[in-house]
Amino acid sequence: MKEGLRQSMAWLHTWSGLLVCWVLFLIFVCGTSAYYRDEISLWMKPELHEAAARPAVAPGVAAAHAVAVLQERAPKATRWIIDLPDERTPVVNANWTNPPKKDMSMAERRALFRKQAVVLDPSTGAEVASPRDTRGGEFLYRLHFDLYYMPAIWGRWIVGVCAMFMLVAIVSGVITHKRIFKDIFTFRPKKGQRSWLDGHNATAVLALPFHLMITYTGIVTLMFMYMPAPTKSLYGADQQAMFAEVFPGNERVEPARVSAPLADLAPMLAQAESAWGLPPARIVVNHPNDANATVQLVRPSGTQLSNIEPSMTFGGASGALLPAGGEPGAVSAMRRAFYGLHVAHFADPLLRALFFLCGLAGCAMFATGALLWGVKERQKYAKVVAKGGRAGHGVRLVDALNIGAIAGLPIALGAYFWSNRLLPPGLENRAALEADCFFAAWACAAILAQLRPTRGMWRLQLGLGAALLGGLPLLNALTGTHLGIALFTPGLRAVAGFDLVLCALGALLGHAAWWMRPKQVPVKEARGAPMEAPT
Amino acid sequence: MSLLILSAVGLAYGGLAANSFSMDRHYADIIGRGAEPGAGLRRRCRSVGWIGILLSLLACVGAAGWHLGPVLWCGLLTLGAIVLTLLLQYAPRRAIQGAALAYLAALLPGLTAFF
Repeated sequence: MKEGLRQSMAWLHTWSGLLVCWVLFLIFVCGTSAYYRDEISLWMKPELHEAAARPAVAPGVAAAHAVAVLQERAPKATRWIIDLPDERTPVVNANWTNPPKKDMSMAERRALFRKQAVVLDPSTGAEVASPRDTRGGEFLYRLHFDLYYMPAIWGRWIVGVCAMFMLVAIVSGVITHKRIFKDIFTFRPKKGQRSWLDGHNATAVLALPFHLMITYTGIVTLMFMYMPAPTKSLYGADQQAMFAEVFPGNERVEPARVSAPLADLAPMLAQAESAWGLPPARIVVNHPNDANATVQLVRPSGTQLSNIEPSMTFGGASGALLPAGGEPGAVSAMRRAFYGLHVAHFADPLLRALFFLCGLAGCAMFATGALLWGVKERQKYAKVVAKGGRAGHGVRLVDALNIGAIAGLPIALGAYFWSNRLLPPGLENRAALEADCFFAAWACAAILAQLRPTRGMWRLQLGLGAALLGGLPLLNALTGTHLGIALFTPGLRAVAGFDLVLCALGALLGHAAWWMRPKQVPVKEARGAPMEAPT
Repeated sequence: MSLLILSAVGLAYGGLAANSFSMDRHYADIIGRGAEPGAGLRRRCRSVGWIGILLSLLACVGAAGWHLGPVLWCGLLTLGAIVLTLLLQYAPRRAIQGAALAYLAALLPGLTAFF
C-alpha cells in the first residue's frame, strides 16, 4: 500500500463504521434505555402505580407477606425467588419454578415461568391487580443483544460481529484523527461538513472511555459463545465443570424429599443486615419445605463493580448460617467486573445518569457519523447535481437508511409506548403485540424513507417522532399517573422522571424537525430534488 | 461523601477548562481575536489544569472507593468536557468564569473538614 497509515485507517474507519452503523444505532439506543429499564417497566404497568405510591415498609414485613403468599400458591416449588422492594421497583416481585416437564421447549419454559409470578403490595401483602401483560423495559434490553424475530443465538452473533466492527472503527478512528488533542474541545456549528465532523469527533472522543469499555465488555459478556475454543481445549466435553468454576455458588442442591417446615426468615434477614449494613435485595429459597432447603440472601448492588453480588446462605429448616462457598478466582472476578461495568447495576443515581449520558453521546456519534458519510459523498456529485443530474445510488441508499434509522427509531419507540397504553389489557399475546407495533411502525418509516429519501421526509419523520414521544406524558396523565402527582410522590419519582425524559426527547426531535425546515430553497425545488446537505 | 463528589465535579471541569485556556483557539475565543497566551501563562494553565484533573480522581476515589471511583472519574470528565465544549462555543467567557467558580466550589469540602 502506497498510502500512509492515516489514509488506510481512514478507509477502514469509514467502511467498518458505515456497514454496521444502523444496527449499532439500534443497539445503542436500546442499550442506553436499559440503564433505566426498571423505571420504564414501572411506567408501562400503571396498575402498579397505586401500590408504588404507598410509603415503604421494612424488608422483613414485605418478605413475610411474600412467603405467606408463596406457601399458599406454590408450597411444592423447586425454588422461590423474592425480590424485595427498593427505590426503583417499589413492589415485591415473587416468582417460583416447578420441576420442568420433560418435553418442554426452552420458550415454553420461559412462558410458564413468566406466569408463575405474583406482584405484591409490600405494605399490605395483597396481590396487586394483575398488571397488564407487557415486557416493559425488558423488551428493549433484550432487543439490544438478542434482536427480534429470530433465534436469540443468531441475534447474538449478529450483535457480536457488529460490536467487533465497532472495536475496529474505534481504534482506526483514533489513529486517523490527526488533531485529537488540538480539536478536543472544538465544535463549530453551521459550517456544513465541518460541523458534522466536529460533532462526530466530540461525541466520540469525549466519551471515548465509555465507548471502548462498553464495546469491549459487551463482547466479554458473551465470550463463551464467541470464543469457545479455549474453554473446549481446557475442559473438553465437560463444559459444566468450567461453568461451575466460573460461577461458583450455583451448584445444585438436591432435595431430601423429607418435608420440614421453613424456618422464620426474619432472624436471617436481621443477621444479613447487621453484617452488610444494608437489608438484602433478594431472597432465593431452594426446595422450600424440604429438609434440605436453603435460603440465600443476596446483598443489594452499589459498592463494587462485579455483576454478581455477595450472598449469605442459611439452612432452610434450621435457620443456621451455612459456610460460604469458594471465592471466585482472579480471572472469574475480572469477568464479573467487566460484566458489571457493562450492565452498571452497581451505579448510584449519579453514576447511572453519567452512563446514560455517555450512551446518548454514543447514539449521537453513530447518527453524525452516518450523516457525515452522506454529506462527504454528495460533494463528489456536486457538479453533476448542479447540471441537473442526480447523486449516485449509494448516496440515496445511505440517506434513506439514515432517515429510517435515526428518525424512524423514535417513531418505533413511540409506537411501542403508545400501544402499551392503548391496547386493551386482556388481549391474548399482548406483550408480543406491543413488540409487533414497534416493528410495524419502524418498517413503515423505513419503507417510506426508501421511497422518498428527501429533506421533507426527515421533517415528517422527526416531527412524528417528536409528537409521539412528547405526547406520552399526556397519555400517561389520561391512562396512568398525572406528572404533577408523580413528581410529588416519593414512590413514583421513576414515573415522573421517565415522563420528563420523554418531554426532553420530544423537544429535541421537534427542534431537529424545525431546523430541517426549507431555508432559502424555493419550495417547489426542495420537494422534488434529492435531499440537500443539511447545513 | 456527596460534598466530595461536588469537589470532584468542580475539579474535573475546572481542570479541563484551565487546559483549554492554554490552547490558542480557545484563548482567542475568550480574550479576543488574534490573542495568544504567553509561554508562562500557558505553562501555568496547563499545570493548574492537570493538577485539577488528578485531584478530581483522588476526590472520586475518596467519595466512591477504588472500585467505583475511577469509573465515576471517567464519567465526570466526559460530562465536564461536553459542557465545556458547548460553553466554549456559545459563551466562551462564561466557560472560564465557570472554571474559577468550579475551583472555588471544590474548596468547600476542604473547608468543611476544617470547621
